[in-house]
Amino acid sequence: MTYLRTLTPLFLAISCLSLHSCTKPSNSTGATDQPQGKIVLTGSSTIAPLTAEIAKRYEAEHRGVRIDVQSGGSSRGIADARQGTADIGMVSRSLKDNEKDLQAFTVANDGVSVILHKDNPVRQLSDQQIVDIYTKKITNWRAVDGQDAPITVVNKAEGRSTLELFAQYFKLEPKTIQADVVIGDNEQGIKTVAGNPNAIGYVSIGSAEYGTTHGTPIKLLPVKGVEASINNVANGKFPISRPLNLVTKTAPTGLQKEFIEFARSPKVKDIVQQQYFVPPSQ
Amino acid sequence: MTRKMTTPQAFRALPFRSSEGIATLGIWAVVVLVSGTLFWLLADIFWHGIGQVSWNFLTTEPLNAGREGGIAPILVSTGLIVGVCMAVSIPLGVGTAILLAEFTANESWLGRFVRLSLDTLAGVPSIVFGLFGNAFFCKTLGFGFSILSGGLTLACMVLPILIRSTQEGLRAVPEDYRRSAAALGITRTATLWELLLPAAMPGLMVGLLLGIGRAISETAALIFTSGYVDRMPESIWDSGRALSVHIFDLAMNISGGESNAYGSALILVTTLVMINSTVSWLAERFRKSRILVV
Repeated sequence: MTYLRTLTPLFLAISCLSLHSCTKPSNSTGATDQPQGKIVLTGSSTIAPLTAEIAKRYEAEHRGVRIDVQSGGSSRGIADARQGTADIGMVSRSLKDNEKDLQAFTVANDGVSVILHKDNPVRQLSDQQIVDIYTKKITNWRAVDGQDAPITVVNKAEGRSTLELFAQYFKLEPKTIQADVVIGDNEQGIKTVAGNPNAIGYVSIGSAEYGTTHGTPIKLLPVKGVEASINNVANGKFPISRPLNLVTKTAPTGLQKEFIEFARSPKVKDIVQQQYFVPPSQ
Repeated sequence: MTRKMTTPQAFRALPFRSSEGIATLGIWAVVVLVSGTLFWLLADIFWHGIGQVSWNFLTTEPLNAGREGGIAPILVSTGLIVGVCMAVSIPLGVGTAILLAEFTANESWLGRFVRLSLDTLAGVPSIVFGLFGNAFFCKTLGFGFSILSGGLTLACMVLPILIRSTQEGLRAVPEDYRRSAAALGITRTATLWELLLPAAMPGLMVGLLLGIGRAISETAALIFTSGYVDRMPESIWDSGRALSVHIFDLAMNISGGESNAYGSALILVTTLVMINSTVSWLAERFRKSRILVV
């Protein structure tokens, strides 16, 4: 019987788990005027940390509500909102023409900026030069008054809205971009450029500005002479900017509506700024 | 040089001089390279991470998207996910291994088919398991983004490793044991519990440790199944962020999340070492508690 003693902890653990699963809480009964229940958000990894923080504040104010924020990218946000897998999708760009069946609510704005390594002597690039670099017509920094070194082109993965916004502004077909490195999330882009003095990339201005103020060796290039900064996104001067949207399939109701209104309200302005985005103009 | 080696004298003399020296040097170089890489990695994580780790870090909720605060809910979620995974995969895995090794002839079509399927499954990239788990557990079975979905997806991933190594362990037990047990009139069940399983323990252990290692360090399969929610889970029906997903998000998606990513990585590595030692200790106890200590 000694083996019983050995296996007891394991059985205990298993039975604890299964018992635990039986006690799945049915929604606690609270005040009836309070919204109850659970909603699920999926989509853009750029917006996910922001909405997760907003959701925490909302939950703290409304007991009995659960807001689950999942990641996965803007395309996923669109698909899940359409199929009803998620109550709200997160999409970090404006809706396209074939997505007008969905309703979008802007919770914040963000810009996309071209970044170089701090030690790169290049101070600015014209739009045409950036296009030529991303289509490999220019492959050496010498051609744009830089050092004699090959250019490492860092591009975002297909389906990322940063890529779509970048390509849309520079009138590039995503397929014509010839990348040396393909990255996913913003921080990965910043790390890639910070680790390679000959790299060029583009990321969300918020993350890039955070990097430069915290000692990451990168710099943001101006576009058409406009400095890339959160302030210039806020006042609308910076040309490459995008809305961060919450999308729903039909007009939002109940908890869905409450949360979207909360996320757009001045009550969460500090959270939006804390995540290096620009609050929507009221 | 090569000419000389063919003469008997040179042949005798050489092994004690240059060739032995080169071999020794080569072996040491390999040792230094392998352990140096591991040491470098661990030292890097330790160096960057130790400043973050404190009692507070382990017991508080993440704040400001994980840049500040601790990892308590993430630790609990990770524990639950790995727990679900193991609770499902150990009985299934050991059962299948026993069926394959003890009750199926090596050449039978069933044995061949199952083995082939397992080896194929073992080579499938984890992101594919993630998509499968999302489609099957989250949507078809309606578990949603939950610790349960994550644990079950991991179980699918871990099963092939667990089954194959347990099966190898059972196969390594000499045939004489089974014959002697049969001759003594011991039932097959008793033979299995008292004799074969303890003797196959080393194999099972390797599978278990590899399985836990793969499960606890999984990111791709979990981001689509157990999800991204960093709140304290109330049950296994809740979505919960695993430690490796947290590290990935902090390192790749959150500006300024790096230091907490290192802290979490240090905890992940430490946990893995602790689980490994505990499991080995439990297995040793199980083996010694049998009638026959092999």
